[in-house]
Amino acid sequence: MNIKIKEREVLNPLAEKDAIKIKLNPLPQKKRVIALLDNTKPNADLILHTIQENLKSSKFVHIKKPAGDSATSEQIKQATKADLVILALGDCGSCTTWLILDALKLEKKGTPTISVCSHVFSPFARELAESYGANSLRIMEIEHPLAGQSEESVKTKTQNIINQMNKILD
Amino acid sequence: MDKKEDLKVKSGGKPKIIDNSCGCLIDEFIIENSPNERLCSVQEADFEVFIDPDVEKVSNQFYMKKETDGLPIIPPTQSRVNKFLKYTDLKPDEVIAILPPKRGTATVEKIAINSVMAGCLPTFMPVIQHTIKAVSHEKFNLPAINATTHPIAICTILNGPISHEIGINSNMGCLGPGNIANATIGRALRLCMINIAGAVPGIGDHATMGSPAKYSYCFGEAEDESPWESLHVDRGSNANESTITVIAAEAPHNVNDHRSKTAEDILDTIIHTAAVAGCNNSHVPGEILIIMGPEHAKTVYEDGWGKYDVKRYIHENTSVPVKLGDRGGRKMDKESITGGEVKLTRKPEDVVLVVAGGPGRHSMVAHGFGKSSESVTMPLKLEDGISLFTLEDLKK
Repeated sequence: MNIKIKEREVLNPLAEKDAIKIKLNPLPQKKRVIALLDNTKPNADLILHTIQENLKSSKFVHIKKPAGDSATSEQIKQATKADLVILALGDCGSCTTWLILDALKLEKKGTPTISVCSHVFSPFARELAESYGANSLRIMEIEHPLAGQSEESVKTKTQNIINQMNKILD
Repeated sequence: MDKKEDLKVKSGGKPKIIDNSCGCLIDEFIIENSPNERLCSVQEADFEVFIDPDVEKVSNQFYMKKETDGLPIIPPTQSRVNKFLKYTDLKPDEVIAILPPKRGTATVEKIAINSVMAGCLPTFMPVIQHTIKAVSHEKFNLPAINATTHPIAICTILNGPISHEIGINSNMGCLGPGNIANATIGRALRLCMINIAGAVPGIGDHATMGSPAKYSYCFGEAEDESPWESLHVDRGSNANESTITVIAAEAPHNVNDHRSKTAEDILDTIIHTAAVAGCNNSHVPGEILIIMGPEHAKTVYEDGWGKYDVKRYIHENTSVPVKLGDRGGRKMDKESITGGEVKLTRKPEDVVLVVAGGPGRHSMVAHGFGKSSESVTMPLKLEDGISLFTLEDLKK
């Protein structure tokens, strides 16, 4: 008689992903109004101002939203009035999360976006966007760190992404 | 036709496999002079004996796939998971929540699997299932809690009769080691965050350093020791209902006060322990958890203070200079500033006050995630909305 000893199988603890798809919007030909959505992270305002100085647009609108939390419906509504929204800054876990989730809210409402995240948190930003079915969400990488840095350093790091941003926008 | 003849006809005189499962017929066994020397001509074994997987091997396999918290796990076999599924009235594939950042589908079965891994007892299942539901509430802000660089953990507080039924510790050492419910319910929640939500440290959880509180952070309120109404009654439940409360909280900081004899003196020690720069409350005021030891609570109560008096006093007096407070990641709102100071809470209700612990003159302070997360209290209920008063209700 042949007796075989078998180990019981173990079950998989990983969850299935809830698959969804978000349709992203193409960049507009005419960028009459660009909204700059500032999540109040240190130097987010400086990055956005530096971008503004280097972009040609007839009008810029400045909006503030909380870092680490959702933008209010009023802030989202205000941003959707623009032709394009540039969001900054994703340089930590919770602020990157809500920068991307707010960008996705805007995209769902038909407003194209560009999200500025530090290069350390950009991979997570992309993974998060993918989880929400937005694989090609526009995310621009700026050199980490940004917080606690001199104005000159932040401006230099921002200049480094402006050429790329101009190419995307042209 | 008897069985022997039936077998011969179908096999042309030579026994062969007819059965479509393993191929083995009991007839083969009973036929005399069967040409098969073995009981079954298909299976490589006559008998299969199933044993539990090796704990070290499975732990290492799961660890290498980043599916643990680093500690050994109990192998989640089907038979073990089935025991947990007896303590829910929901089907295994029922979805409790979709958890960020991965948007993982938290089914009853996946929660049970991770609870087995954590070393839970099957009776903990209703608590863990409701805890997962509670953290998915929008106001809890799980997307940020899971992904943040901040060392915020998720503290689970149990109230009501089921906390006694499952043997949660609310007394001596309730925040430390030694009790299976306290140790493993919080751990199950963490494993669910890792494996269901995708909050894998360094991948979906970006805590700069993390916290020991992220391993397990669960206790019961010592309702019998408290001179005041308990947390769940405070939040609208009846005393005989069972609830879980989840609150985003840092690891607790001790308040050692052996000498104060008045409520005000004890509360002042608590306030000066809580009033620190560098916590989230200091730049975005929000909830703060105060775990008051029974001896402190008794002194405060006997001095004539009600629970709301305590909450209001802590709210009004716990503040830091704006210059020190406004150094966090999120810019402080101007309305939080009064006379160059920022209060750590927005209102007395932000002081989440519970009584727990054993003998000794200690309390605990745990700062929250600021205004970016609100605690959630959820009564344990059956699918039809009827309160789960006892685990026996699940056997009906």
